[in-house]
Amino acid sequence: MGFLRQVWVVTMKDLRAEIRTKEAINASLAFSIVILLLFSFAFDPTDETMRGLSGGLLWIVFAFAGTLMLNRSFARELPNDCLDALVAAPIPTSALFLGKCLANYVLVLAVELVSLPVFGIFYNVHWARQIPELLLVLMLGSWALTVIGTIFSALTVNIKLREVMLPMLTYPILIPALMSAMQLTTALVGGTPINSDTIDSLKMLVGFDVIFTAVSLVLVETVLVG
Amino acid sequence: MSGALFSFFGSGAPIAMAAAVVALVASVVFLRTRNFLYDALALAATQAGFVLLAAALAAAVIWTHATARSWWQWDTRLTTALLCGLVYAAYLMLRRAIEEPTERATSAAVVSIFAFLDAPLAAIAIAWWRARRALPPEGAAPPGWSATAGVPAFAMLLAAVAMTVILLRREERRRALDAERRAALTL
Repeated sequence: MGFLRQVWVVTMKDLRAEIRTKEAINASLAFSIVILLLFSFAFDPTDETMRGLSGGLLWIVFAFAGTLMLNRSFARELPNDCLDALVAAPIPTSALFLGKCLANYVLVLAVELVSLPVFGIFYNVHWARQIPELLLVLMLGSWALTVIGTIFSALTVNIKLREVMLPMLTYPILIPALMSAMQLTTALVGGTPINSDTIDSLKMLVGFDVIFTAVSLVLVETVLVG
Repeated sequence: MSGALFSFFGSGAPIAMAAAVVALVASVVFLRTRNFLYDALALAATQAGFVLLAAALAAAVIWTHATARSWWQWDTRLTTALLCGLVYAAYLMLRRAIEEPTERATSAAVVSIFAFLDAPLAAIAIAWWRARRALPPEGAAPPGWSATAGVPAFAMLLAAVAMTVILLRREERRRALDAERRAALTL
């Protein structure tokens, strides 16, 4: 089996398990809608305030909902010692990690694509003015969230305080990526195209993705095998 | 007065940064050699650096209040220092959450590498973010602070090294005790 095929098998296994049980994606979706609703009580959701806040608000929702999903990614393999079986399988741990990452990526993106129109309806925001650019930012930002979340999900899988430790570790590390994604999303939702002001943030997102994907692939063997 | 306060941050933060480099190198060496001495060194350097960073941040907050009448102004350096503090706080919390020594050491070493790589990206992102915001101007260092900062900086460096050595020995002792306890339990 080639490397890509191994990645594909792990991805499809995770996606199939999730689609059949829907345990993480339902919780994550419900959670993101609840937070979106809560925010509207925190401030006056007028058009004026929303123009400046939309990116920050959306990415806070995505980060919270994403962590819920990522928490389950490796924890799901604990019953019946499935994780040991996966690590013992004749595939490199990097293929296992990439496969898990891709499955999480699809699920996180799905939750985001559902919450985006919900956000547009609740806050009366015309978010769809620059769809391709917005999708690019969503994809880059979600990859950052997924890579960091998946590697730390593997790291914290055996800890009793797993649910607490994962956000404690991921959010501070994610700040450069989240910050750039927030700035880009605010600009794009507000109708400003990517210009010389925001291109730096796009570069930061790409750089963050490349650096941390590479580091995670190098270190995942250490994390999973010890 | 404000010069003395500033030198606390001006020299405390670079020493904390040096401690982070020591922690990174010790973590990488631990992953290669699996010698627990390096794990203890990484922990001791991180703890010493964390204490210095916390002290430097406290001094900087008081200094900002003394010069600009507001406690926190989202200064690039201060915000970056705060973020680094949060990342290393997560490192220290993770260590307390894992019981098994080998697993604790490898997990902590991995987090240390991630934390170190994240710091420069955060510094750049925060500088860009700040440049685009209408925030009060950055607090400038009081003129001539570096002329008198040599002695306190040296004192702080000595304190950091002493703290690292003390914490290193404490961690070594604790691990030896823990190993004996485990051996007694398996009997």
